[in-house]
Amino acid sequence: MTELEAGRAERLPVRNGAVLQRYRDVLIALIAFAVLASLPMFTGSKALLDFVIRCSAYGLFATSLNLLVGYTGLISFGHGMFFGLGAYGYGLIMQRLGVPIPVAFVATLAITAVVATVIGAICVRLKEIYFAFVTLAFQMLIHSTILSWASFTGGDQGLRGGIPRPVFLGIDLANHVHLYVASCALLILGLLAMRQIAQSPFGYTLRMIRDNAARASFLGIDVWRAKLTVFVLAALFASMGGMVMALFVSGAYPEFAYWTISGEGIFINMLGGVSTFLGPMVGTVLLLLLNDTVTRFTEYHGIVLGVVILFFALGLRKGLLDFVADWFAHRRGAGEGR
Amino acid sequence: MTRTRTPGISRRSTLALMGAGAMSVAAPWVARAQAKTIKIGMPTILSGRVAQLGTSSRNAVMLEVDKVNAAGGLAGRPIEMVIRDSKGQPQEAARVARELVNTDGCEWLIDGEASSGSFAVHEVARDLGVLCVHTCSEASSLTADPKQHIPNAFRCVRQGIHDSIVGGSYAAAISKAKGLKKWATCSPDYAYGRDTTGEFTLYLKRFAPDVEVISESWPKLFQPDYTEVVTKILQAKPQALYSCLWGGDLTSYIDQANIYAMFGQMEVFAVNMADYTALTVVKNLPKGIHSGNRYIKTFPTTPENAAWGNAYKAKYNEYPTNWSWQNATAVMFLSEAAKKANSTDGKKIAEVLAGLTIKCPFGADGTVTMRADDHTLVGYAIGWGTTIPQEPYVPEVKAGDWKTIFELEAEWKKSKGYT
Repeated sequence: MTELEAGRAERLPVRNGAVLQRYRDVLIALIAFAVLASLPMFTGSKALLDFVIRCSAYGLFATSLNLLVGYTGLISFGHGMFFGLGAYGYGLIMQRLGVPIPVAFVATLAITAVVATVIGAICVRLKEIYFAFVTLAFQMLIHSTILSWASFTGGDQGLRGGIPRPVFLGIDLANHVHLYVASCALLILGLLAMRQIAQSPFGYTLRMIRDNAARASFLGIDVWRAKLTVFVLAALFASMGGMVMALFVSGAYPEFAYWTISGEGIFINMLGGVSTFLGPMVGTVLLLLLNDTVTRFTEYHGIVLGVVILFFALGLRKGLLDFVADWFAHRRGAGEGR
Repeated sequence: MTRTRTPGISRRSTLALMGAGAMSVAAPWVARAQAKTIKIGMPTILSGRVAQLGTSSRNAVMLEVDKVNAAGGLAGRPIEMVIRDSKGQPQEAARVARELVNTDGCEWLIDGEASSGSFAVHEVARDLGVLCVHTCSEASSLTADPKQHIPNAFRCVRQGIHDSIVGGSYAAAISKAKGLKKWATCSPDYAYGRDTTGEFTLYLKRFAPDVEVISESWPKLFQPDYTEVVTKILQAKPQALYSCLWGGDLTSYIDQANIYAMFGQMEVFAVNMADYTALTVVKNLPKGIHSGNRYIKTFPTTPENAAWGNAYKAKYNEYPTNWSWQNATAVMFLSEAAKKANSTDGKKIAEVLAGLTIKCPFGADGTVTMRADDHTLVGYAIGWGTTIPQEPYVPEVKAGDWKTIFELEAEWKKSKGYT
């Protein structure tokens, strides 16, 4: 056996492991989709379906933010601009051009990619708080543009008159169940794609950049290019989330591109945890559940949410899924120690 | 041989008994179904900077709903209001509206949202086909734009275009009388501020063509400091100033402009001044500010309006707002429509509402109408007057002429491509 062959033989189990994990992820995704898609057969609750649609929109957005925050260490305060861009891009294309939905979907992603590349090229050169604030500045620029360009965007009243939902491939998004299944499909596909990114060699490069960018650079990694790539990829998934939201409310409003949306994304990440892939998804479900339940009973929901933030920040000191993962690891460690 | 009745219960009497039994079992259900409460959902803004307006909307609705329920409800069904906070966010307004219909079983919606939130709820109404009355959004396009029109949605709110027409003609008359040719404007920098100011100056120049606008200021919405704006206006030395600042922005602006004695140097026209939320909060309300009526219990000068304002004050220990009278009027319309239709079916109510005229304390002639062709409120009391620092704050209000409003509104719709 030559040295080269020996190297290959050693790497084979690793590669097999990665392939196995990918199959496992796809299997989990398929099961999750099957469970979600069959939900309307068991329940007639439109509110539950609405809840899942909103979870899809916010879940895609928050998980994409975690690609930046958790995996790359880029704390973006302006990620909401891509959520808004997705909603407005999709809404405007559908209202003005009347193209089929998949065309509008792809075109919106293309527009988002271009905008994210330009903004990212400027932002990812900066570090920490400077990166955070410049992303926030760009978000406010986009928000102000939406408000000022009233003839095109509808100004502060948003895109009015409803977004057309023509039937394509037998899918009628005006039908509540169809919209629900389509949202679930987008969520699962988006999560699966982000999972693949996170588990790929590129994903591990991102973690290395997060932990020590200088070392990554010395190892020959083009840090700027890697950061820009993940910035654009995260923007695409956030834009998908925005499109789901635009479909849900049949409109697009300046609030979608406001800094509060970015704030909610960060809050969701804090709530669910940033060191596990599904942390943001758990955070999304928690935040929406909390919001929907508390607002039913009181208009002082701000106090309740504030207390919850304090509990997570001062009590658990991490997101829920991080806490659970640590607890399991600790238990396993203790078991092995015995 | 005579036939005698066999002992026991005959088939006929068994059937009769069964029928009677079924009736006696079913009767309470039938009665309960008829007396079943009708739930009306209401998303509105109960937290944040404009929470006061949302709360005043809720108060007004409850004031009227209590009256309707005391009189036997809507077509015999008592009303149960389900009122939730939307935080002023359109996506939340849409969610809450959907939840109210889909989960809470609300049959109608009263939409207490402003600006973008009202358009979001409008889409929910379009989607679910539920009867919806908008009660707070003044954006004219909500009903003027035919693209927005749906048969199940109505707007029971004053409109920016109506205010501008009346304000323009009132201001032009004073301009001519006092020779006010140089004007400045100062309005919040968003769609409402820009549209309303544009429409006001349009009609001002139409009625007084020699007027010239020499300075424009656009402070941000919710801006805390107006020093820069006030000094800019003072330097331009206009003879008159128009502003559509509102609520806390207007009161902050007046308090800060008072320091520069601005109100003695020019005539000020502030369309949103005559609302108790502004009148009672300003520290030193200057005398002689011209304002449109928002809600004031002395206009229209009828005992019904005064009684309504006093009843509201007695119940909630504060004065009603502009949103209050609009919400109260919505309940009055719904109640009258249910009476006429003798039903609570949304479609029937919508058919009756279109073109319906009702007696109302806030009507220019004691009545208001839900115009049939664009489902919007007309005939409400609208006018301008000048302030004094104490109650009744605006002692004399000059009423606008609805004939002129209709003519110019039709022209405006044409110019916008709405007709």
